[in-house]
Amino acid sequence: MEIFLHAKLTRVPLIYFYLAVLLLPFAAAAQNETHTITGTVEDAGNHQTLPGATVTLKGTKNVVATNKSGKFTLNTTQSPPYVLVVNYIGYDRTEVTATGDAITIGLKTGNNQLNDVVVVGYGTQKKEDLTGSVAKINDADVNKIPVGSFDAQLQGTAAGLQVTNPSGVPGQSIFVRVRGTTSINSSSDPLYVVDGVFLNNTSLQTLSLGGGSTSPLADINPADIESIDVLKDAAATAIYGSRGANGVVLVTTKHGAYNNKPRVTLDISGGWVQADRSTLPKLVTGPQGAELANEYWVNSGIDNPALNQTVANEPFRPVADGGLGTPDQQQTFDRIDDLLRHGGVQDYNVGIQGGSDNTKYYVGAGYTDQNALIQVLDFSRESLKFNFDTKVSKNVTIGVSNEISRSYRSQAFDGDGPSVNLWNSAISTATYTPKYAANGTSNGTDNIYILMANYDVHTISLREVGNVYAEAKIIDGLKFKTSFSVDYDNYDESAYWDTETSIGKANNGEAISALTQNSTWTNEQTLTYQKDFGIHHLNFLLGNSFQSNTDALTSATGTQFANDAYRDISSAAVRTATQTWTKATLASFFGRFDYNIASKYYFDASVRADGSSKFGVNNQWGYFPAFSVAWRLKQESFLQNVNWLSDLKFRASYGITGNQAGLTNFAAKGLWNGGSGYADVYGTPAPGTAPYQLGNPNLKWEQTAQTDLGFDAAFLNNRISVTFDVYDKQTTDLLVLDPVPEISGFSNYYTNDAAMSNKGYEFAINSVNIHTDKFTWSTGFNISGNKNLITKLNTPITDYTRNWVIMQQGYPMNSFWLYQQTGVNPQTGAVIFAGQSANGTVTAADRKIIGSVYPKGYGGITNTFAYKNFDLSILFTYQFGNDELNLNRYFRERNPSSGAVDTYVLNAWTTPGQITDIPRLTSVGNNYGIDNSTRYLENASFLRLKELNFGYTLPQSVAQVLTVQKVRLYFVGANLFLWTKYTGDPESSVTADPNAQGLGSFGVPPQPKSFQFGINATL
Amino acid sequence: MKKTTYLILGVLALATASCKKFLDVNPVDQVSDSQTIFDGNSAQTAVRGIYNSLESNNYYGYTFQTLGFFSGDNIKYVGSQTVNQQLTNHDVSSDLAAINTSWAAIYTVINQANNVLAKVPPLATTATFTPALKNQLIGEAYFLRALSYFDLARTWGGVQLVLTPTTAASSLPNVKRSSLAATYAQVLSDLTQAEALLPNTTNRIRATLKTAYALHARYALYQQDWPTAISYATKLINDNNYKLVTPYSGFFANNAANTSESVFELYYNTTVTNEEASQWQPSGNGGVGWVVPTSSIVSLLLDPTVGGNRSALIETVVSQGVTSYFGNLYYRTAGTDPAYLIRISELYLIRAEAEAETGDLTDATTDLNAIRTRAGIAPTTATTQSDLLLAIENENRVEFAFEDHRWYDLVRTGRAQAVLGLTSTDQLLLPVPYSQLQVDPNLTQNPGY
Repeated sequence: MEIFLHAKLTRVPLIYFYLAVLLLPFAAAAQNETHTITGTVEDAGNHQTLPGATVTLKGTKNVVATNKSGKFTLNTTQSPPYVLVVNYIGYDRTEVTATGDAITIGLKTGNNQLNDVVVVGYGTQKKEDLTGSVAKINDADVNKIPVGSFDAQLQGTAAGLQVTNPSGVPGQSIFVRVRGTTSINSSSDPLYVVDGVFLNNTSLQTLSLGGGSTSPLADINPADIESIDVLKDAAATAIYGSRGANGVVLVTTKHGAYNNKPRVTLDISGGWVQADRSTLPKLVTGPQGAELANEYWVNSGIDNPALNQTVANEPFRPVADGGLGTPDQQQTFDRIDDLLRHGGVQDYNVGIQGGSDNTKYYVGAGYTDQNALIQVLDFSRESLKFNFDTKVSKNVTIGVSNEISRSYRSQAFDGDGPSVNLWNSAISTATYTPKYAANGTSNGTDNIYILMANYDVHTISLREVGNVYAEAKIIDGLKFKTSFSVDYDNYDESAYWDTETSIGKANNGEAISALTQNSTWTNEQTLTYQKDFGIHHLNFLLGNSFQSNTDALTSATGTQFANDAYRDISSAAVRTATQTWTKATLASFFGRFDYNIASKYYFDASVRADGSSKFGVNNQWGYFPAFSVAWRLKQESFLQNVNWLSDLKFRASYGITGNQAGLTNFAAKGLWNGGSGYADVYGTPAPGTAPYQLGNPNLKWEQTAQTDLGFDAAFLNNRISVTFDVYDKQTTDLLVLDPVPEISGFSNYYTNDAAMSNKGYEFAINSVNIHTDKFTWSTGFNISGNKNLITKLNTPITDYTRNWVIMQQGYPMNSFWLYQQTGVNPQTGAVIFAGQSANGTVTAADRKIIGSVYPKGYGGITNTFAYKNFDLSILFTYQFGNDELNLNRYFRERNPSSGAVDTYVLNAWTTPGQITDIPRLTSVGNNYGIDNSTRYLENASFLRLKELNFGYTLPQSVAQVLTVQKVRLYFVGANLFLWTKYTGDPESSVTADPNAQGLGSFGVPPQPKSFQFGINATL
Repeated sequence: MKKTTYLILGVLALATASCKKFLDVNPVDQVSDSQTIFDGNSAQTAVRGIYNSLESNNYYGYTFQTLGFFSGDNIKYVGSQTVNQQLTNHDVSSDLAAINTSWAAIYTVINQANNVLAKVPPLATTATFTPALKNQLIGEAYFLRALSYFDLARTWGGVQLVLTPTTAASSLPNVKRSSLAATYAQVLSDLTQAEALLPNTTNRIRATLKTAYALHARYALYQQDWPTAISYATKLINDNNYKLVTPYSGFFANNAANTSESVFELYYNTTVTNEEASQWQPSGNGGVGWVVPTSSIVSLLLDPTVGGNRSALIETVVSQGVTSYFGNLYYRTAGTDPAYLIRISELYLIRAEAEAETGDLTDATTDLNAIRTRAGIAPTTATTQSDLLLAIENENRVEFAFEDHRWYDLVRTGRAQAVLGLTSTDQLLLPVPYSQLQVDPNLTQNPGY
């Protein structure tokens, strides 16, 4: 295969190469004083040659790149000896002295991040030249564990990036926050840009499936990703204007390289996921549950004699007396165990990349299939990636970047809600209830065996993310680029609710088919100018962009089917349909000016003007400037000779960014709705209209002013590098649905009328602890802390059912709003709430804002070891100082006669003098009647062994025998250990609603442990 | 080089020129609120929109009705939102979600009616938009506003009277609470206006003159204006279009709807659905079974001398070996059960009660027995005024077992304290929603909350 490709793809360039080699001696001979330096650049470890490395004759602008064989030829009029500087991404910058003879230069795998190229808005910068705060994550970190989307793999990898994985369903949306939550009603998700294409990150899911929502990012194959850059401060994000406030995640896919022979990589892995037992609810046994049900029954009867509940008629009494049998006659039925499985995961990726003198390419194909840890749920994706760049003339380059993928999901109801909820049906049904009883259900839940056998909900997302561009060099240093990009998602959902499921039973079968088409096109022009005037380096960017997003949904529902064999809506007796269409446009102009003196003093400025169709007519255009400075102290003469200090740079930035993500497209307009029909005569529906929303012509973006101070330092020949930042983000004009008195006929309207602050720090340290020929050990550690505060909010906003969550001025976002249980009366077993009246009643005024959904600190620590051909990398992630309301406990700590209860309830008060926090079982009074109790609030700090990656690379000798370049065998384990006081998965969240982040566990399968074995080969 | 420059300039020029147009995007399924009611057709759609809100799940489609359901002794809530049991326990917290939901839903109807009342009168009539049709639409808006304020008054007492539409966030209503008397006066004023405009036809799903009469009869009963109650009830009872259907289940069973029993019901279809069935029906029938009859109403309905053929209102379900009863008035799985607002039997019982109160025991007994006979039970044995009034109260309880009558009947007769064991008269009114007190400085809380 290798030979074939080699021949096919490189024949033409090879001829040029041979010609060049042949002609070289003549060229050298022509000018007497010209000397030629030749050599080869290779990996110092495995002696692989490195094509595309740059070789600079130190002190000159004489630079060449190594060819596909890693060889270079440099002509100079200087005399030997020569000092050559060699740079190659991922390797240490290396200086060698050459005498003029052919030289072989070995590069060591790099720990010097400062030489990395960082992708920034509409361009790239060398990391050493950055004035803003940008975190770079390399591909190795985004394609390991089976979670569907690449963002889920970023947990713990970068400071300032908080990633929470709310459920164990692969391909679901996760929470990603860059420097805190900046918004109440808008999205706080970062902006995602893949190879210049603005990626839709809002789930297109329309099926109401209770908990999470599907992640549009899961359509992107992580294996195609080269690197991810997270832009954090205003200096980096202001160029994205009204969409930059939440940070920007720039994804760069693999592009191949010019003059690079084809390289085929194969990556195949397989394994399974399984539940982490420590995160599962611990239910009582059947006999225990029956005992508790009796106790609840009798106690309630004592408290309220009108109920007529006594020992004589308690539910679990002998069958002969008309009961269900005594408690000790009950069996225990473990539904959770039947629902769980070892879910198979498999992943196949093949990629070919390379390039000739004028063309570079990457072609990737991938298939992944991830079964969840519980039955039914499945995610799979096929993807094809094609990136191609070619120089059509000396000054003009054109290219495409293109991914087509198909994501298939077998879905099920999870999260909140009883009916057809897989996980809830398993954990809510009392353990004494027989599995296949005619009504093996309770609490409105379904029989899970029926659900498992009949679930038929699946979604296919067809995604095209593509970009074409042309770039022309106008004069030296001045380039014009124009591009057109598309993000198109055809999201096709279908569901059939079998007549045995509770939804289907109600309607004699119910089918839903929903087709959403979301498309974004962007047209962009940029003009860049780069020029050095002696020690003055100048970089200038000017651009404009037009973007349009359209979202169209057609959905049909059919009920009343002949039987379950007919599943198409056309077979239904009753059919309804709905259609929605919405569109938003954005016109932008932007510019950036980077200037530095001798790579020592840096001054950068950028500005963007965004005009958005979403904004009110009085505020159609927004302007977003940013300024930053940096001082690279190491370049000062007084530090030049301080050898232990490899680099030191101070940075400061200030700028303004915006957020318009949560602004619905027509939020600014006062509107009436159609579709509010009624009949004039019985049986004949007719159209009707009704007020829909109050308008606000002043509506605009949310605005964040961010100040960032930081430094980057490196020590001991770059073996230790440190980055530290502090920031202050002040967000104003927050979009709120300002409540208006309901007597107006409206509940609220959108205004920019709240403010929030996020202040925090980020610290990252990378070190090479041991570096010998045989053994290396390096460590990466990061910690970040963020303090969120709502600084202005006229009316507190309560959220979620039972108003568990409150947003109130002077408190952080998403605070818990609860009745504080101070204890249980040891004499009576009655619950005690702070502030309760003498007769035990509580009022809304007694509710308190308590606990914190946001951690005091979070981050990760990675240790990487390499010994001979073995490598091992271990990532721990952690979070501390946050709480989570365990809804699972709320639902499992009550009426034992209507559903399963947790083993906690065994501690319920029974005898005077007993000290416990679980009140006496009764249906009367507040003991189990207050939903919003602090009893369910738990410390959700955790330390997780997120990923363990162990590999063995076949020795070069064996690889040669196999005629491959490199073969690595590996094992990856994810979520292997969890240390937490929380009784469940501390990251879990009942829905994808970001304001429900602190509401955990209920109905949501926890994150699984996973075990994968794989082989990675380079042919 | 030159070509490239021209290209760039060209693209930029084109781009800038079209910017304003590019940014002007409008929805296709909604219209600007400045162009809503402008001709006969749009007036009709706006009036239909009011009914749509009236029958929404937040109002007569479920939530508002539950306030009365759970406060009475016929229906209880056993679902996961255990806070709803506060209503049954008469220990209601002002942050109970159902309270705000209902309050908001009622004022939504009022605002829509106000829109019609403000914008339809100036419209010119045409050949199709006849003066009669125009009067009808205005009359319906008055009727629906009367019904809304009536519901507010009987649930919360005197409320803020908003009589003009809200068209912009900059001009929100700014009024204080009116007294209970003033609120009821507004109801009467709206009803009187409606009666002057509505056509004298029979339409069981829209307001007509007769619907207005029926609500007027109920209004008079609440005001203890017995002669008016009798005269307005009589207008309906004497109308051949309204009959007690036999048997009792004839007005709802077997997908019956729009029967001659019905004076005013709300029409649902698969697009606009009624939530009741999904709350009442057990999971085996596709519901959640969270709204259930109390054991006392079950015994009454099953008692052949009390419930008679009204036992059709309940069915049994066996779950985990335990037989339990569920209400079967709302059972259509597609959510197409009507909401029953006024049935002719109510007019009989209104007249019976008013007659009994005025000492006309003979006519009162006749009217009461009309209901009992239809239910297949023996005539009443009550002979004294007080016994007869109690008999009428008990008849109301069973006749409207799963309709929103019981709680309001007990409150208006002053019997709630005795029957439901209330400890304070403050409990006769529900608390004003906590969130509204936060938003509206004009609003004050009811005593005791």
